[in-house]
Amino acid sequence: MSSELVNSETALTRAGNASAVNSERMLGFAFVAPIVVVMGFLVFGPVLVTLWDSLHRVDPMRAGTPFIGLDNYRNLMSDARVLHAWLNTLAYVVFAVVLETLGGLGAALLLNRITWGRRWLLAAVVLPWALPPVVNAIVWSWIYNPSHGLLNSVLFSTGLIGAYHVWFNDRTTALLLVALVHVWRMLPLTAVILLAALQSIPAELYQAARLDGAGPFRLFSKVTLPLISGGLAIALSQSTVFAFNLFDEAWILNGSSLDTRSVLIQVYMSAFQDLRFSYGMALSVLVMFASLVISLVYVLRVYRETRYD
Amino acid sequence: MRPSLLSRIGLLACTALLLIWSLGPVYWALVTSLSAPIDLVSASPHFFPVHPTLEHYRQLLGATSFYEGSAVQSVWPQFSRALVNSLLTSLLATIVTVALAAVGAYAFVRLKFPGRNVLFVLVVASLAIPAYTVMIPLYRLMVSMKLIDTYFGVTMIYVSAFLPLALWLMRSVYQSLPLSLEEAAWMDGAGRTYTLFRIVLPLAAPGLIASAILTFLSAWGQFMIPLVFSPTLSTKPLTVLIPEFVSRNYVDYGLMNAAGMLAIIPPIVVVLFLNRYLVQGLMAGSGK
Repeated sequence: MSSELVNSETALTRAGNASAVNSERMLGFAFVAPIVVVMGFLVFGPVLVTLWDSLHRVDPMRAGTPFIGLDNYRNLMSDARVLHAWLNTLAYVVFAVVLETLGGLGAALLLNRITWGRRWLLAAVVLPWALPPVVNAIVWSWIYNPSHGLLNSVLFSTGLIGAYHVWFNDRTTALLLVALVHVWRMLPLTAVILLAALQSIPAELYQAARLDGAGPFRLFSKVTLPLISGGLAIALSQSTVFAFNLFDEAWILNGSSLDTRSVLIQVYMSAFQDLRFSYGMALSVLVMFASLVISLVYVLRVYRETRYD
Repeated sequence: MRPSLLSRIGLLACTALLLIWSLGPVYWALVTSLSAPIDLVSASPHFFPVHPTLEHYRQLLGATSFYEGSAVQSVWPQFSRALVNSLLTSLLATIVTVALAAVGAYAFVRLKFPGRNVLFVLVVASLAIPAYTVMIPLYRLMVSMKLIDTYFGVTMIYVSAFLPLALWLMRSVYQSLPLSLEEAAWMDGAGRTYTLFRIVLPLAAPGLIASAILTFLSAWGQFMIPLVFSPTLSTKPLTVLIPEFVSRNYVDYGLMNAAGMLAIIPPIVVVLFLNRYLVQGLMAGSGK
């Protein structure tokens, strides 16, 4: 990009050169100015306020906002409910990442194999991602309904369970079922990313490996897997960050129940139900940093990988 | 190498399984929304409506309706209001977001100005900020500017939430466009702005459509933001209204599924007719 500027600029006089650079700067500033205003007022400003407030005691119920240093963060470490919420979120992340990666890889391999009607199968696969999460959660809460839900009646009539279950009575089952709704929505993203990676593998590589006598399993582990590792890393980071920020599904399916309360629901409860504003803000700051670190790890890995070629 | 019969059957079985996983819940919601309330609580599930009825839809869309023989008030006034709110805020947010991203991403790719890279990294990094990190200061800001429960307020928050992804996507689109066309235009004396609007943007149309689709669907499905910033029906969208059917009457699953079916019509239309752009957007938005 800079070389073309240099080339076109060598023809210009020095004065013209300076004014061209100057006008390019002004145009650049003008083009991004609305973005600076919107993001500055509605995102970066509020983030700075949150960081600042999390070091203070901001309670609408108590007078004054004294500086308390890291007290909020220290209290978070020993708050049983917060730890519980972190564990729930960890469970969501593990369930979601494993299921989305395996399912998404399976769907991508299938879509890559299929030739007839791929367009329509892809549309069907992508559909859950496009639907409002709230509607998904409502549809699934009806499926999970203890007395008239589809899950109970299908499992009962096939003899897999002996009696109807109230699914959300058991914490592990409840976490898995909430995660499943999330997986239903986010699996398309993993599938699409991996499909793109699969389609970029040249067919000659497979032919060459087959000539060397590689079977389907070796083809997959020696050709496919290494060549989609970049896409896999992106898909993993996406599914981790999205599962980390799970809110809508758990909220609609099981409300504020401690069994399924994710970290973000805990933030909402601390700030808007217990009205401990700065305490909730401090927790949200931790979530933000965790999300940033996860994204960064994967982005750097991908960046390093793509620089080889 | 011809695929054997066995592998064909396996492929077919996997396809069927994938279709059931993806479309099954949507089909089940459709069946539920068309079933008479009495069939919803019957002992065994019916995989198609036994006594198909439009009762639930009539309750949503009609002036008055009947529920088990007695007249009940229709929710059409609230429902239509929320539908208009959803459409207006999503479309406005889409137009503003795509316009800002189209111009801004061009500056990030083709124009040199101080602070360019820092600004871009900051904006993209904001993708990792959970909505609740900014919620409380944002709420105070909106209250002080009297923007709570206004189209302008909600739309601008949507824009700030979905702009980073649109920028990221548009940047990768511009980076893949050949520079030679622009250079030719500059040689002919065309200005930067003219080149952007008359030459670059038409070429970037698929990318613009993809960002518009991603933004529209994200705004259409948004729940957390309007839950806080759209407290009354003057801006409340469908996503906030529909879960309220639980507390208002009782848990009326027929009605909720019917409302859900209506709320997913726009996403379904997008997936059916614009899926190519949507998939491109998902790939480009997450990759590169």
